[in-house]
Amino acid sequence: MGIVILTSWGAYLVGTRGMGMRQSDLSGAATVVLTYLGLTVVFLLGNLAVGIVLILGLRALTRQFISIYMLNDATLAVLSLLQALIFQSWRERST
Amino acid sequence: MRGLPWLGLAALVLFVIATFTPLANHLNAWMAGSARLEPSDAIVVLGRGGADSDAVLTNRSLRRVLRGIDLYRAALAPVLVFSGSPEETSARTVLARGLGVPDAAILTSPPARTTREEAELLRRLLLPLGRQRILLVADPIDMPRSRALMERVGFAVLPAPTAATGPSQPESRLGLVRDISIELSAWAYYRLLGAL
Repeated sequence: MGIVILTSWGAYLVGTRGMGMRQSDLSGAATVVLTYLGLTVVFLLGNLAVGIVLILGLRALTRQFISIYMLNDATLAVLSLLQALIFQSWRERST
Repeated sequence: MRGLPWLGLAALVLFVIATFTPLANHLNAWMAGSARLEPSDAIVVLGRGGADSDAVLTNRSLRRVLRGIDLYRAALAPVLVFSGSPEETSARTVLARGLGVPDAAILTSPPARTTREEAELLRRLLLPLGRQRILLVADPIDMPRSRALMERVGFAVLPAPTAATGPSQPESRLGLVRDISIELSAWAYYRLLGAL
């Protein structure tokens, strides 16, 4: 966490002093990022819901053990973020 | 779409809390409850994680079986019972034999699709043998639901959770929080079904 704080501070300095970026634009950028994160949460919850329904359905149909913990995988969050990025970018281009 | 930034902020705050604070560790310890390591009729080691294609137990399954063997060596019960997939129970049995547990002291339960089914199969295996008081070996987060299901089918359960302190690395804590979320969802699902 300390490392991230340090490099974020470094990026802020590079942005404002080296690249002429405005400090006032930072809050707007943060809102955009939070929007992407919020959409990621929506996709993640949707993916988990579909996953749970599929697993419970397969358990009932095949009468075999399929672990719900298969959904406990960090890649699902990464893929949900990807879905959110694509969807939001597409939405912005369409408006 | 107005609520999305707030949802994102909430997710970010939860991520920081889950990853960089010991909240997950406290939840883990709370769910484990107090261990009651007392003499019993059987040590029941619930299935978890199975074995890979080389018949090597997963980390979680290995922790449980080692805990069970430890309790057996402490002479807390005459019988060690393994449940799980056929591959898991087989690998556990081989390990237990290798660590000196005699064949006569090892029982295995048929494979189950759910924890509720697992409890029922263990009931059919152990209660006719008069083995009603059991030391239950499970992970801390699995203990509340597992214990409740085992008690519901008629066992007197003495909890014997595996290590309760939990991880200290951020990534592992995040994994633990995910596990806890899944387990609490399973608890809610079982309550909804009236199974608990």
